Amino acid sequence: MLTRKIKRKLSNYGETVQNEDANSDSSDLTDKLGTNDEDEAPVNEYVDHDTSDEEDIRNTIGNVPMNWYDEYKHIGYDWDGEQIEKGATRDQLDAFLQRIEDPEFWRTVKDPQTGRDVVLSDDDVNLIKRINAQRVPDEGFDEYAPWIEWFTGEVMKMPLRKFPEHKRSFLPSKNEAKQVSKLVHALKMGWIKSNSYYKKLKAKKKDRFYMLWQSDTDAERMRRVHDHIPAPKRFLPGHAESYNPPSEYLFDERELEQWNKQKETPWKRKLHFIPEKYKTLREVPAYPRFIKERFLRCMDLYLCPRGIKLKLTIEPEALVPKLPSPKNLQPFPTFLAIEYKGHDDMIRCIDTDKTGQYLVSGSDDSTIKIWEVNTGRCLKTVETEDVVRSVKWCPNSALSLILIASGNKVILLNPNVGDFLINSKTDSVLRDSPKSDTVISERVRTTVQWQEPSDAEYIKGYRAVLVHFKEVTHVTWHGKGDYFAVVMPDGQNRSVLIGQVSKRRSQLPFTRPKGLVQSVIFHPSKPYLFVATQRHVRVYDLMEQTLVKKLVSNSQWIATMDVHPGGDNLLVGTYDRKVLWFDLDLSTKPYQTLRLHGTAVRGVCYHKRYPLFASCSDDKSLIVSHGMVYNDLMQNPLIVPLKRFEDHKKTNDFGLFNVCFHPLQPWVFSAGADGTIKLYCN
Amino acid sequence: MEEMDVNSGAQLQIRFITKQEIYAVANVPFSIPQQIDNIQLNKLLNELLRESTDSIKPVEFDFLVEGQLLRLPLIEHLKDCNISTESTIDVEYIERTAAPEPENALLHDDWVGGVQVADKWILTGCYDQSVNIWSTNGKHEVISREHTNIVKDVSWLRPSDPSGGFITVSHDLTGILWDWKPGDGSPTPITVLRGHERGIDSVGVSPNSERLATGAWDTYLKIWSASLDVNDGYEPQIKKQKSAKLSHIPSRTPIHTLKGHKENIVSVDWIDSQLICTASMDHTIKLWDTELCGLQNEIVAEKAFLDASWSNLSRSIIACSADRHIRLYDPRSTEGSICKMVFTSHSLWVSAITWSQTDEHLFMSGSYDECVKLWDSRSPKAPLYDLSGHQGKVLCVDWSNSKLLVSGGTDNSVHIFKNRHNS
Repeated sequence: MLTRKIKRKLSNYGETVQNEDANSDSSDLTDKLGTNDEDEAPVNEYVDHDTSDEEDIRNTIGNVPMNWYDEYKHIGYDWDGEQIEKGATRDQLDAFLQRIEDPEFWRTVKDPQTGRDVVLSDDDVNLIKRINAQRVPDEGFDEYAPWIEWFTGEVMKMPLRKFPEHKRSFLPSKNEAKQVSKLVHALKMGWIKSNSYYKKLKAKKKDRFYMLWQSDTDAERMRRVHDHIPAPKRFLPGHAESYNPPSEYLFDERELEQWNKQKETPWKRKLHFIPEKYKTLREVPAYPRFIKERFLRCMDLYLCPRGIKLKLTIEPEALVPKLPSPKNLQPFPTFLAIEYKGHDDMIRCIDTDKTGQYLVSGSDDSTIKIWEVNTGRCLKTVETEDVVRSVKWCPNSALSLILIASGNKVILLNPNVGDFLINSKTDSVLRDSPKSDTVISERVRTTVQWQEPSDAEYIKGYRAVLVHFKEVTHVTWHGKGDYFAVVMPDGQNRSVLIGQVSKRRSQLPFTRPKGLVQSVIFHPSKPYLFVATQRHVRVYDLMEQTLVKKLVSNSQWIATMDVHPGGDNLLVGTYDRKVLWFDLDLSTKPYQTLRLHGTAVRGVCYHKRYPLFASCSDDKSLIVSHGMVYNDLMQNPLIVPLKRFEDHKKTNDFGLFNVCFHPLQPWVFSAGADGTIKLYCN
Repeated sequence: MEEMDVNSGAQLQIRFITKQEIYAVANVPFSIPQQIDNIQLNKLLNELLRESTDSIKPVEFDFLVEGQLLRLPLIEHLKDCNISTESTIDVEYIERTAAPEPENALLHDDWVGGVQVADKWILTGCYDQSVNIWSTNGKHEVISREHTNIVKDVSWLRPSDPSGGFITVSHDLTGILWDWKPGDGSPTPITVLRGHERGIDSVGVSPNSERLATGAWDTYLKIWSASLDVNDGYEPQIKKQKSAKLSHIPSRTPIHTLKGHKENIVSVDWIDSQLICTASMDHTIKLWDTELCGLQNEIVAEKAFLDASWSNLSRSIIACSADRHIRLYDPRSTEGSICKMVFTSHSLWVSAITWSQTDEHLFMSGSYDECVKLWDSRSPKAPLYDLSGHQGKVLCVDWSNSKLLVSGGTDNSVHIFKNRHNS
C-alpha cells in the first residue's frame, strides 16, 4: 500500500520527486504538502483506513490539466465553497530575485496539481540523488543481505516429495513429435513451405522468365515421395533359423556333406547357414556373419535399382466374351410341340417342302413318310428296297420332286401332295426322257444308270431311278432344282456324281480321289461345290473347274455340313463332337469351334430366314443356337447357343440323326434313332 | 359367418352390386375380412338373399372385381389389380356359369378335321375324306365320300337351318357345296369350288349366307357365291386337269381372289356381309373389305396363328397361336396395345377356338394337349372348366348351337358337351 502511494506521488511530481521516508506517516505527509485541511477535525479517521479520496481533498479540481485554470485566480473550491487561492504567479524578474534571495530556492519545485511551490525536504533530495545515481531508492535496503537457501541443490537422503518423477518429464513429448512429423510431412509434400523457400521464391520472382516451348502446368513430381518404392521384404525366418529347431531341420551327415561340397558355389545351397540346436536362448552365441549380412543387404538395397512392375490383373470372367442374353434373341424354338410317330426304325433324314406344309422322312425301315406338319398326320408312306439314308425336297417350287437315297439307288419321287397342277406337270416333264446326242462315257456308265421306273413303281410315285455301283449316303439339290449331287463314300475317284434332272444325265466332276468324301453341298448363289472329305472341306468352282479354297478343319472326321443361305459361312459337324463355323471370307480355319455336344455330331442345319442354326448328336441332344451373319464385312458373325433339347430316347447308341428347320417359322424338326420326329416351336 | 369371424385381421369395405335383378340385395356396404374368397362370399351373399327373398335354393355366384373374375382371396386380387383397399370396393356378382356335362361321343373312322352344329345336326369332316352328318343324340345319319383328300373344314350355310345346305373344304384343293334336307338320304354335291392351288384349310360363310370365303395354303383368300343354284358362276369349258372322281359335278370359280397373306390362312370369319377377318400362320390377322376387294386393317403379332374367332357380341377377335397362348384383340382400338388380354393355360398348341354365340364373355378352345377348355374373357389366368375326354389332339371346336359344345380330334371322335348355362 505504502509503495503504491509513493509511486503515485512520484508520478504526480513530474520531473522532480519529493523524497519521502519509508517510515513516514501519511498524516505528516499531508502536513508537508501544506494543504489547508488542518481544520478538519480528527485526523485519525484515516489512520488505519487509507482511503482513495485522501489525495483528492488537496486537489479539488480533479485530474485535469492545470492550464485550464490559467485564466482564473483560484483553483477549485474548498469544503466550504470558498475559492482556493492560486499561489501568486511570478514573472521572470520575480523568479530571478527569489533565486538570489531565497536560500531554499534550489529545492523548491512547483506542484503541478495544485500550482504551488513546494520545498523539498532533505529526505526527498536524498531520494532523488539516489535515483539519479541509479541506486536502490530506499536507503535502508540491504543489497547484500545474507542468502537464505530455500531450495537446496543437495540430494537428500530422505526426499521431501515421495513420488517419483513423471515419465513425461524425461521422455520426449509424443504430441510434440506428432506435430513436428506433421509439419515435416507437410513440408515434404510441399503443402507448407519454409521461410527460406519463400525468400528464394521472392528472389526468383525478380527475374521471371516465361517458358516459350514447354508447358510447366504439371507439378513437379517428387519420385521418392510420390512413387515411393519400398525395399523388398526379407523372408521371415523359418523353423530352421530357430535356436532350437525340431530335429528334422538339423543337418544329417549327408546333408552336411552336401553343404560342404558346395563351398565353392554357396548360392546353390538350400540354406545359407547350418541349423544349430541350443537348449536355451542363453547359450546361443553371437552370430558371426551378422555384420557381413547386414552389409550385403545394404549393398543390395543400394546397388540394385528398384522399379515398379506393372502387373495386369485380368479376371477370368473378363476374358469370356460378353454374349447377349438368349431372351433378347427371340424368336427361337423353346418347347416340344408335336411328335411325328409312325416309323418302325431309326429315322436317318428329314426335309420339309418349301411352304412348310409337308415334311418327308426316310428311315432304316426302308420307307419314306410324308407328314402334314401342323397336325402330325402321316399322309403317305412309300416303301423302298433299302435303308433310306438321305431325302431332299426339290427347292424348285415348280417341281414336285423328292430325291431319295435308298441303298445304291437314288430315286426321284413325286409325292403327289400339294398343288396337283404342279404334280401333273412334273409327271409330264419327266415322262418323256430327252434324247441327247452326247455319248455317255464308259466311266460314267459304269458308275450310274438312269432307269425308267416299272409300272408298280410309277404308281408309288417313282419318276426316275438311278442305280449306282456303290451305296449312296448323301444327296443334295442345287438351289435351282435341276442339278443334284450324289455322294458314294466308297466310290474312290467316282465318289461324287452330279446329275441333271432335265437332261437325265450324270457327270463325274472329279478325276482323282481326294479322300473319303463325306458330304457335298452346292453354294446357294455361285457355281461352287463344297466337298467335305474326312479332314478338309474343299470348295470347287464348277464353271472354271478349279479348286477355290481348302478349309482345314481341326478335327479327325467330318460328318456333315450345311451352308449359310448367304453363302459365306459354312457349318460343319464332326464325329469328334465339334461343330465348326467357317467364315469363308475370314480364313480357311474355323471361325469358331463349338464343343457343346458330348458325342458325335450327326446333323447341322441353318435356318433359311432367321439367324438360327441347330446341331444334333448321338448324345440325344439338339442344340439351337443364334448365328447372326452381318452384311457389314467388318463385323464377325455372332454365335450364341440358345437352347438344348433332350427329348429323344437313345436307341442302339444313336441319338439324333438329322435336324431341319421349318422353312418359314422359327421351328425346328429333329429326327431320332427312336423312330420319332419332334417339332420344337417358339 | 362363424369362419369369417375367426379370420381376425384387417377388414375391407365392399358393396354388392348386380345386373341380374332377381338376385338384387340392399345397397349397403359390408365390412369383411381381407382374406375372404369366393366360397365365403358366396355363403355371405346366399345368406343375405335368404333374408331378403326367402328363397331356399342356394345359388352359386361368381364375383367380378374391376371387371375380372375373383379367383384368389380378395386382397390378393386387389393387389394384382392395383386397387386401393381403403375405399369401398364394388363387387359385382353374376350367376356362375354352370359346368358343361359330357353328353355323347361320335366315333369316326379317322381324325376329325372340322365340325359344325346347326340345330340338331352335327356336320363333321373327316380325314378319311368323308363328310358325315350326325344327329345330336349320336345317331349317324349320312356319310358321303366325294372328296379325294382329307376334309379340313365344314360349315352349314345357314347357322340354324340345316336344310340350307353346307360347304366342305379339303386338301384336294376343292370345296364342295352340298344340298341336304333333314330326312333325306345322302346329300347331293351341287358344285365344286375350284381355284385354290394348295389345300384349303378354312371356310367361312357370310352372315346373309350369300357368299363364301375360303383360305388355303396357297395364301389366297377366295370369295365365292354360296348359291345352291348350279348355273351360278358355272364355267363349262375349263377343267383340263379335273380329277376323275369330281368330274361329274359342275365347278364354280371364285368371285374375288384376295392376295396379301404370306402363309397358310388358318381361319376365315365374316364380321358382317362386307368385312372378312382372316388369321394366318404369317403372324398376322387381316381384315378384308369385300366390296373394295382390299385390305382394311391388319394386326401383326409375333407368333403364328392357328385359329381365330370373331364375336359380334363383344366385337373382338380371339386368336390362338402356336406358342400355347390365346390372345384377345380389339381391331378397333387405335391406341396402346391392340392385344387386350392373354389367356394362358394350355400346355401345347391351341389349335381351335370359338366364341359363344350367346354370351359375350364365354369362349371355348381346343388344344393339342388333348384338352378342351371353357373360358370367361374376364378370367385370363384360369379357364372356367376343362372339358376332358379327348385322347388325342383336338383339331376343331364348335359352339354354333349355344346348348352344345362340340370338339373333334385325332382320337377319331367328336365329343359333345351339353351347356347347362342359360343366359
